[in-house]
This record gives sequence, C-alpha cells and structure tokens, in this order.
Amino acid sequence: MRAALARFLAEATGARSVAIEELRRLPNGAVTENWLLAAGFAGGMLGDAQRLVLRTNAATGLGIGLGRAEEFAVQRVVHGAGVAVPQPLLLGSSDVIIGKPFYLMRWLPGEAAGAAIVAGQFGGRRDRLLRRLAAELALLHAIRPPKTALSCLGTPPADPARHRLDQQERLLAEDPDPHPVAAWGIAWLRRHLPRPVNPVLCHGDFRTGNFLADTEGLVAILDWEFAGWSDPAEDLGWFCLGCWRFGAYGQEAGGIGSRDAFYRDYARASGRSVDPERVRWWEVMAALRWLVIALRQRDRCLMGGERSLDLALSGRRPAECELEILKLTGDG
Amino acid sequence: MRDRPDGPTLAALARGAAARGEDRALIGRALAIAEREAAAGEKPLESCRAALVQLYGEAALLPLLRRFGDDISAGRFDAPGPAREAALRLLWAITRQKLSEANPDYLAAAEG
Repeated sequence: MRAALARFLAEATGARSVAIEELRRLPNGAVTENWLLAAGFAGGMLGDAQRLVLRTNAATGLGIGLGRAEEFAVQRVVHGAGVAVPQPLLLGSSDVIIGKPFYLMRWLPGEAAGAAIVAGQFGGRRDRLLRRLAAELALLHAIRPPKTALSCLGTPPADPARHRLDQQERLLAEDPDPHPVAAWGIAWLRRHLPRPVNPVLCHGDFRTGNFLADTEGLVAILDWEFAGWSDPAEDLGWFCLGCWRFGAYGQEAGGIGSRDAFYRDYARASGRSVDPERVRWWEVMAALRWLVIALRQRDRCLMGGERSLDLALSGRRPAECELEILKLTGDG
Repeated sequence: MRDRPDGPTLAALARGAAARGEDRALIGRALAIAEREAAAGEKPLESCRAALVQLYGEAALLPLLRRFGDDISAGRFDAPGPAREAALRLLWAITRQKLSEANPDYLAAAEG
C-alpha cells in the first residue's frame, strides 16, 4: 500500500519522489477510516514534509451517506466558502491505488473526542466555542443550490422534511426487529410535518465529537459523509439531540451550552430566525435517524462480519434515541 | 423487547476483544450490559408481554411487539384518551427497562 500511495502522491503533486515516513490509523471514525500520513515530498505542489489525513471507507459500510469522491467535493466547496475544515488536497477515486477510494486532506492538531471537549479539556471558553460553532453552521447554510460543483449531491428535495421522513421509514422497515417507539416517533413526525423550506447545504452529522478543538477553541469541522441539501434546522436539531451531550445532559447544545444561547448565536450569525418547534421536529428526526444508523452499525458486526465491539455496542444505543423520542413527543 | 446483540453475545464479543487487547472501556461497557441483563433475567420481558397480552390476547412477545408497532403506525393510538395513555405508558416502561440495562447513566441523567 505504501509504495502505491507514494507513486500516486508523486504523480498527483508533481513531486520527483515521495517518501512515506508514517502511516497509521487514527482512532476516530466508525463509518470511515482515517489514517495519518506523514511524508517527505521532493518538489511538487506540496513540497517538503507534510502531515496529511487519508480518509477511506471502512471494511464494511452503512449503505447510506456519501462516497469518498462526493465527500471530497463537499469538503472542497465548504473549504472554499470559508468554513473551518481541513483543506482537501487530492482524490484517489480509483480502486487500484489502495483497493478502495480515498482522499487526502491536511492534518490539523486537536482533539475530537466528545467527552474531552464536553469536560472542558479542549475547546476553550464554552460561550465562545458555542458561538463559533453557530457561526460555522451559519456559513455552511449560506451555501444554496444550484451548485455545479455539488451536482453529485443530486437534486435538492422540494420538501426536505418529508423526504427525510420517507427515507428513514423505508430504512427502518428493512430491520427485522420490531421498534414500537420508533413507530411512535414516525407517526408524530407525520402528524407534525413542518412547512417546506428552501434547502441549503447541511452537514448532516453536526455534533460534538465531529469537530476538532484545541485548548483555545474550534479548529475544524470534520466528517462530511452525511452532507446534503436539507432544511438548516436539521443541523440544529442534530446538534442538540440528547445522545450527543457526552455526560453533560443539562447542556442541551451539544453538552457545551444552553439551547437558547446556541439558537441566539446561530440567529445572529445567519440572519435567520430559529423556530424552536421546527428544530424540535428535526430533533425527533435526529433521534430516529441515529436509531436507524445504530441498527445499521450493529449489522456491520452481526451480519457484515466486521469484528468490532464498538459496532456491536451500537445495537444497544437505540434505547437512548427512544427515550429522546418519547421525551420530545410525549405531549402530543 | 431487548435490542440485539443480547447479553451473552456481547459478553462473547467482549472476551474476544479482550484477548486481542482492544479498548478496555468498550470491553467494560459490553460486560456490564451483559451482567445487568443477566441480573434482570426474563422478568422484564414477561411484564412487557403481559401488558401486550392485555391489549391483544395471548401470544409470544415478538409478534405482540410487532403488532403494537403496526397499530401505532396505523394511527390506533393517535387520539387522546385511555388507549393512547396506556400505549405511552408501555412505551416508556419498555424504554426505561432497556436503558436500565444498556445505559443506566444515560437514563439517570435524562430523568434527573
């Protein structure tokens, strides 16, 4: 793999030669694999010593989300728009180089582990971190279709909420086990569908655990495999879901701050007013969607043959989502 | 009622992971779920089944749960009233029981 990668890097960057000094898997990422690649480049567009991240598919997939070429395209667009993301550099879309598609981006220092960020070891002052996250989201949501560079994302849905609900209902029906609480959530979502909005570019997995922070504050937003055209409230609801608060349940905005502060920061940065009922709808949807993803994660271990205790444990996460569904929908 | 993988499967996977020297926190979490599930035994499944039998008559737990889910989807519990309240009580009971085995800390935080 190293020799083929070195050849690819030399050709793609115009370097005379590339010496890979380090290639090791990074701990984060269940749907994808991230590898730290340290290499010395002799000439070419990168030049000298570089630390990069190679992002590729895991051994088994979820069957949902973007492929690496599409994710690379999204990351390029958002990087160009000024969103804090690692700069994407090269795409290896062919399977012949390392056996599966991949792309390379700049490595950035920092910590992504949700528990460490929520505990205050990383991310700096809480109010500042929350404001910055809201500002990044606002910048992302300013990207609207049509966008030629994002044609890979397909036609934007005319009704993002209905589109997402139909999709999740279909995916849940593929699971052989009964899920009465999820059925309750779906029934509630159908009864309370929000009015359609013009879609914008959404991250789709914007939460604590999916951004990199150092001791001062935010470094970069990571993991763009669920990006797509949707209602901007989808990212707000996903961020506030109880499952992503890492032990700080009372801090409803990602375990970092209050929901009100986050909505206020986002409204100020985006110029959009936040409708709490619309976000609530998307938060119920977030619980349902994370439940569906957790079941599919479980199947990668139980049916796909991927030997991973982490994936197996995902199968016991739906109860957290179910509790959120009941809490959010219990009054009708 | 319980999600998969069940306790014994999780325990077996955890033992395999321990033999390979994998993440001890994950191993501990899997073993703890298996232990809590074993301690609870069949009683929670039987009480869930008993509640569903009240609604639908005698049958095994799995088909009863499936029918319950189908009825929820069909809107049988949409209207306010005793049937909806009973359904909601049962959904909460199932969820609390599942979380008490899978993640009691989460349950305590969310209901604290």
